[in-house]
Formats: sequence, structure tokens, C-alpha cells
Amino acid sequence: MNCRDAGLWMHEYLDGIIEEPQQIELNNHLLDCPDCRTRLDQLEQTEAFIRHIPQPVIPDRLSERIMQALPKPTRRDAFKQWFKRHPASSVAVVFAIVMLSSFLSLWDKGTDLVVKGADLDGLIIQGDMVIVPEGQTVNGDLMVENGRLQVDGKIDGNVIVVDGSYNAASTALIAGQVQDIHQNIDYFWYRVKQFFSGFSR
Amino acid sequence: MDARLVALAKDGDRVAFAELVDLYSGKLYNLAFRMLGNRQEAEDVVQDTFMRVYKNLDRYDSQHKFSTWIYRIATNQCIDRLRRRKAVYSLDAGVTDGDGMDGYSMLPSTRPTPEQQLLLSERQRTIATAMESLPPKYKSAMTLKYVQDLSLQEISDILHIPVSTVKTRIHRGRDYLRKKLIREKDLL
Repeated sequence: MNCRDAGLWMHEYLDGIIEEPQQIELNNHLLDCPDCRTRLDQLEQTEAFIRHIPQPVIPDRLSERIMQALPKPTRRDAFKQWFKRHPASSVAVVFAIVMLSSFLSLWDKGTDLVVKGADLDGLIIQGDMVIVPEGQTVNGDLMVENGRLQVDGKIDGNVIVVDGSYNAASTALIAGQVQDIHQNIDYFWYRVKQFFSGFSR
Repeated sequence: MDARLVALAKDGDRVAFAELVDLYSGKLYNLAFRMLGNRQEAEDVVQDTFMRVYKNLDRYDSQHKFSTWIYRIATNQCIDRLRRRKAVYSLDAGVTDGDGMDGYSMLPSTRPTPEQQLLLSERQRTIATAMESLPPKYKSAMTLKYVQDLSLQEISDILHIPVSTVKTRIHRGRDYLRKKLIREKDLL
């Protein structure tokens, strides 16, 4: 190995990647060559000096300033972020929205007369009046909406009157309960109960 | 782990991004300061780097190491700024011999900057000044190796050059500094 090659292999040695055969040759060369020994020594010292240059002091609150300089998140981002960070609440919110919209779709606030029941045989409807004639039996529940219910006969079930009025004659016989719903809140809770009772059926 | 933070930050998680800033701002500041020699420019580079990272997160490919990506942005910023400074060609024959830096722009040894004057010993001042005078491509390789303690492979990834080129730049950088130390201050 000559001095020129030794000069090259010295660098490999300093990088920590010199192969063993070259390491041995380099050592042998150094034993006989004071110039190269000096050169290696100087290179090692140079490295030591470089490594000992002190690191600068990091400016105070650098991270803060960096974050402040970033473009502000858009409202859409903030919205997305909230959903990502609160998965349980997000599910609850979505659930509530779905439920509410299904209630609203069921909300039938027209002014049309509505008569609901499993058995509507024999009922008389005149204008907005629904009459259960004397002697007639309604088998099941009966609901009247936006109208007047006049019961002269029998009802073998519950009666619900929504936004209307109800009158029972002395000959009337109602097997179940009578509910007379006027206010919007009453109706809402009525619907809620109806909805959940649907699950229990 | 970086990868997890980056994935969150990509989704818009600012807290995760802030953690990345905490992890890397110091390292990038050191790099920029050693490359550019003053606090103001170093801080500007760090700010610009994070801004670019933030704006380009959606284009970041998680196949590559995040550290490689961010170091690359910062290093390129430093090199650009160095190149924009006035280049003065030195006819110092001794330095441009066979294993020197033929044909590359070199800054002459300047007087130490105020920051450098705060360094403890004359030796350190000399070596810091000598490092300052390295041409940008040698300076970046030397800084990444000695200041950031990165491997040859990592430096190769950051600078987008083959490992053999990284080795050449470091070897020439060392030789250059050795000669500077001998010549200028007779320190070795």
C-alpha cells in the first residue's frame, strides 16, 4: 500500500466501514510511514473538533411560533376533528338525528280527517264527525285525528283522539282507555311511546 | 412513533402535528444554524420547512421515512439560501489541488460571526469558521453527518445522491478542514 491509497483508506477507516484486509494493510503502512501517521492523527483531531462545536441554543417557544404561523383550520376541519375525537358522541348525535327525522316524517300535521283502526265497519263519517252508531261494535283500537268522535256504540279497544274532540253517549261502552291529545308535546310523546311500543310487539 | 403521528396529522389532527413540531424543531434548528450561521435565517428555515410539510401532508407517501422527508426539505432550503449569497471564487492554490474542491465556488474564510465569537476556544472558532466556508454540497453532507449523526445511507436518502457520492463529499470535507486547521492556525 502506498501513501496515496493509505490516504483513501484512512477515510474508510474513519467512517467505520474499512474491510479487514485493507485495515491490516493500512496498519502495516502506518507502522513505517510517519507522514501518514501524522495525517491520520490530524484527521481524527479534525473530526473531534467538528464534533465539539457547541450546539446553538434553541430559541424560546420556537414550537409555539411555528404552530401559530400555520394556516388556521377551516370550520370543516374542526367539525371533522370533533367527530374523530368523540366517536361515541358522534354515534349518539347521528342516532338522534335519524330518530328525529323519522319522527318528523311520521308527523302528519295536516288538517285532513284521519280515521285509523283495524275494524272500521259500520262507522259513519259526516264531514269531520266520525260516529260509532248505537248497536255497532268496533273490534279493536280506534283513532281519530282532526275530527270529532261520537261514540254511541261499543268499542272493544282503546280510543285516541288527536286534535279533535270526543263525545260518548250514555249508551257508549269502551273497553280500553281514552286518550285525548291536543297539544303538540302530547302528540310528540304519544309518537315516542308508539315508536318504542313497536319494538316490544 | 413518527408514523402514527404523521398518519393522524394527515387526517387534520393538529395536536399530532404539534407533537411532530416538538420532535423536530430543535433538530432542524441545529441543522439550519450550522448551515447558515445565524439565528434569524435558521428560524426562517425551520418555519418554512414546517409550513411546507403542513401544506404537503396529503402528498406525503408513508412508504418513506418522515425524518428523511423533513430533513430533505430543510436541507434544500439551506442550500438554496447559501447559493443565493454572494459567491466569491478563491484562487487559493493550496486548497484547489488534486484532492481539494476544484472549480466549486468557495467563500473565503470570513471573520467569525457574533454567534461564533461566543464559542469557548479559538480552536472551535477556527473550525466553525472553516465549516462555514465549505461549499454548500460539502457542508450539507458534513453537517448531516456530524451535527445530526446520520448514517451514510440516511444522508444518501435525504440528499437524493448515491452513498458513494456522500462518502466522497465527506472525505473531501474532512481533508479540506484538516488543511484549514493546519494552515490557518497551526493547530494540528
